[in-house]
Amino acid sequence: MTSLARKLAILALFALLGAATAQQLSFWHYWDGANGQVLQGLIDQYQAENPGVTIEAVFVPGSELVTRLQTAIQGRQTPSLAIADLVTVPLLTGSGALVPLDDYIAASNLDLDDYFPGPMVYGIRDGRRYSLPVSASNLALFWNKDLFEQAGLDPDVPPRTWSELIAFGQTIRERTGAWGFELFTQGGEGTSWQWQVFLWSAGGEVLSADLGSPAFHSAAGERALGMWADLVHEHGVSTIAPWGLFGRGEAAMVMDGSWMTQFFPMQVRFPLGSAIFPYADDGVPASNLGGEQVFLFASDAATEAAAWDFVAWFSSTEVQVEWNRNTGFMPIRASVADDPAYRAWVASARPLLQPFVDVMPYARARPPITNYPRVSDLLAEYVLEAVHARMTPAQALGAAESEIAPLLR
Amino acid sequence: MVDKRAAAVRGTPRSPNGGVGRAWPEALLLLGPALLVLATFSVYPALASIHLSLFDWDGIRPVRAFVGLDNYTRLVASREFANSLRVTVVYSAGMTIAALAIGLLTAVLLNQRIRGIALYRVLFFLPVITPTVAAGVVWRHLFDPSQGVVNRSLAMVGVSGPSWLTDPAWALLAVILVGVWKRVGFNVVVYLAALQGVPRMLYEAAQLDGATPWQTLRYVTIPLLAPTTFFLSVTALIDAFQVFDLVYVMTSGGPLRSTDVFGFFLYRYGFRYHELGYASAIAFVMFALIFVATLVQYRLARGGGRAG
Repeated sequence: MTSLARKLAILALFALLGAATAQQLSFWHYWDGANGQVLQGLIDQYQAENPGVTIEAVFVPGSELVTRLQTAIQGRQTPSLAIADLVTVPLLTGSGALVPLDDYIAASNLDLDDYFPGPMVYGIRDGRRYSLPVSASNLALFWNKDLFEQAGLDPDVPPRTWSELIAFGQTIRERTGAWGFELFTQGGEGTSWQWQVFLWSAGGEVLSADLGSPAFHSAAGERALGMWADLVHEHGVSTIAPWGLFGRGEAAMVMDGSWMTQFFPMQVRFPLGSAIFPYADDGVPASNLGGEQVFLFASDAATEAAAWDFVAWFSSTEVQVEWNRNTGFMPIRASVADDPAYRAWVASARPLLQPFVDVMPYARARPPITNYPRVSDLLAEYVLEAVHARMTPAQALGAAESEIAPLLR
Repeated sequence: MVDKRAAAVRGTPRSPNGGVGRAWPEALLLLGPALLVLATFSVYPALASIHLSLFDWDGIRPVRAFVGLDNYTRLVASREFANSLRVTVVYSAGMTIAALAIGLLTAVLLNQRIRGIALYRVLFFLPVITPTVAAGVVWRHLFDPSQGVVNRSLAMVGVSGPSWLTDPAWALLAVILVGVWKRVGFNVVVYLAALQGVPRMLYEAAQLDGATPWQTLRYVTIPLLAPTTFFLSVTALIDAFQVFDLVYVMTSGGPLRSTDVFGFFLYRYGFRYHELGYASAIAFVMFALIFVATLVQYRLARGGGRAG
C-alpha cells in the first residue's frame, strides 16, 4: 500500500514536471490522404529532434476550415497554428487573433528574399506580416500528344504564343474533329483565375497597385477577353461545355494545375506533355498561384515561440525539399527549386512538373483583398458574358469595372 | 398510487383550475427537453440571424458594425436579388406544378390491380430516398452535351440536344426536371393513400351517369383530393423555395446566374463572400416570402373548398 502510494506520488511528480516543461501545440490543416501522412511524418521527425514539444495535427476539411476558424476565434478556442488557402488569408489577418511574425522572422535565419515573390503579397496588413507560404501550386499547359500526332503536328512541340495556340488548335479541329483548346466556362473561381493568366501575359493587371480600384478594363484586358471570345466564336478552337473534354480526349490542350501532373497520368489514356502556358505574342509568360499559408494564433509567449520554431523548421530549404518531393506541391523558395535532390526527383519521378517549376518566378497571385471571392465571381460572370457573345469584351469589362469598383472602396 | 394518478388525469377536464395547475410541472418536465432543444437549435439561431441582419460583419472581425436596415435596402435594390427572385419563383412554380400533375396521374394509374404493382411503387419512390447530392452528380453526367444519356437518346430520334447545363437558356429547365424527378415519388405515395379514402360508390355513381374516365378524374377524383393537393403543394413549395444542394451540385448557380436560386444566393454571400449580415437579410426575406406564399395558398385552398 505504501509502495503503491509512493509510486503514485512519483508518477504525479513526473507528470507535473512534464507539464511544466512540455509544450503542447495544435496545428489545424486540411492536407488529406497521402499529404496528411507526409505532414505527420515530418511532425514526428520534428518531435524526435525537439523532445518536450508535442504537435497535434488536426485535420479539418478544406471546405469547413474558414467556418471552423471563425467559430474558434469567436469562442477563443483557437489552435496554436493553422494553414489556410491563400485567398482566405486577407480575411483571417483581419481577425485580430493572429500573431505578427516580423520580430520572429528578424530573429531567425529565415531569408525572405529566397521566397518566390508571388505568394508573398498575402498575409500583410498595416505593414506587418502575419503569414508565410508553405506550399504552392500553379497553372500551365497540358497537351494530348496523340491528337497532335493525328493532326500532323510534332507531338513534342507545344504552342508558345497565343498565335500558335490558335493555329495548332485550328489544325487539330480541322484534322481530328477534337476541340483545340478547352476553356473553363463554368464560371466562378475556375474561370476567373484562368482568365487572369491571359490578362497578365498580355501585360494587364487585375487591380491597381494600391488594390483600391479595378485595372482590368484596359487594352490588355480587352485583348485577353477578346482572345477568349475569339477562341470560341472566331477561331472555332474552343467550345462552351462542362469541364472535362481534355481528360476524355475531346480537346487537345488545356490549362490546368500542377497537381494534375500527378492525377492526369492516372486518368487519361494518351501520352501527355506539359509546358509553360502560351502567352500573348509580345507578352510575358504568366501563371496563377494557389497554395497554403501558415499563421500563428495569439497565445502565451512560450506557445507562440514554440509554434514559430516549428514553422521556421518546416520552412527550411531542407524540410521543404522533403515536403515537395513527397507531396508534389510546388517549391515556395528558389533554393528548393534549385536544390539538386529536388531537381533530380522532378526529372526522374515527375517530369511533367518541370514547366510548372520553371514558371514559378513568373507566377502571380490573385489580388490579396478580403472580398476577393466576390470580386472574382463578378469578374468571371462578365468574362462569360463575352464568351457567350452577349456582350463585347469592352462592354463586359466596363460593366464588371462599374460593379467591382464600389466593392474596393 | 396508480389510482390517484388516474383520478388526476380523469379529473383534469372536470376541474380545469386545479387539474391543469397540477399537470403543469409534469407537462414541463416531459416537454422540457424537446422545448430546450428547439429553443437552443431553432428559435435562438433564427432570432440571432435576424439580429445579425442589422450588422455588417464577416464573422471574424472583432467588431460588428451596426448598419440598421442597410442590408435590406441594398438587397432589395440589387440586380442579383431581382434575378434570384425570378429564378426561384420559376423553379418553385415549375417544380411544384409539374410534380403535382405527374404525381396525380401516376397515382391514378397505379391505383389499379396491375401485376407487380408494389414494384412500380418502389421504383417511383426510389428517387425520393436517393441523396440529392448523389442524384445531382449522376444527372450532371446524364446531361453532358456530348457523352450524356439524355442527348444520346435525343440523337437517336434525330434531335440535337442542347448543352443543358452550360446554356443559360436550358440550365434552369434541367434543374427543374431533376427536382420533379426527385419529388414525384413522394406525391405518388401520398396521392395513393388519399385515393384509398375516396368512396367507391362515387365512382360507381359516376359510371352509372355515363362519365368518361377524364370526367371522373376531373369531377370526382381531383375535387376529393383537394386537401391532399393543398398539403403537397405547400410542402413542395416550401422545399422548392429553399432548394440548394441540387443547384450547388449541378450548376453552382450558373451559367450566367441562370440558376442562382435564393438558397445558392444566400450561400454565396454567407459562405463564399463572408458577408454574414447580408446573408442573414437574404434568409429573412426568404422566410417572409415563403410565409406569404403559404398564406396565399391557404386562402386559395379555403376559397376553393367553399366553391366546391
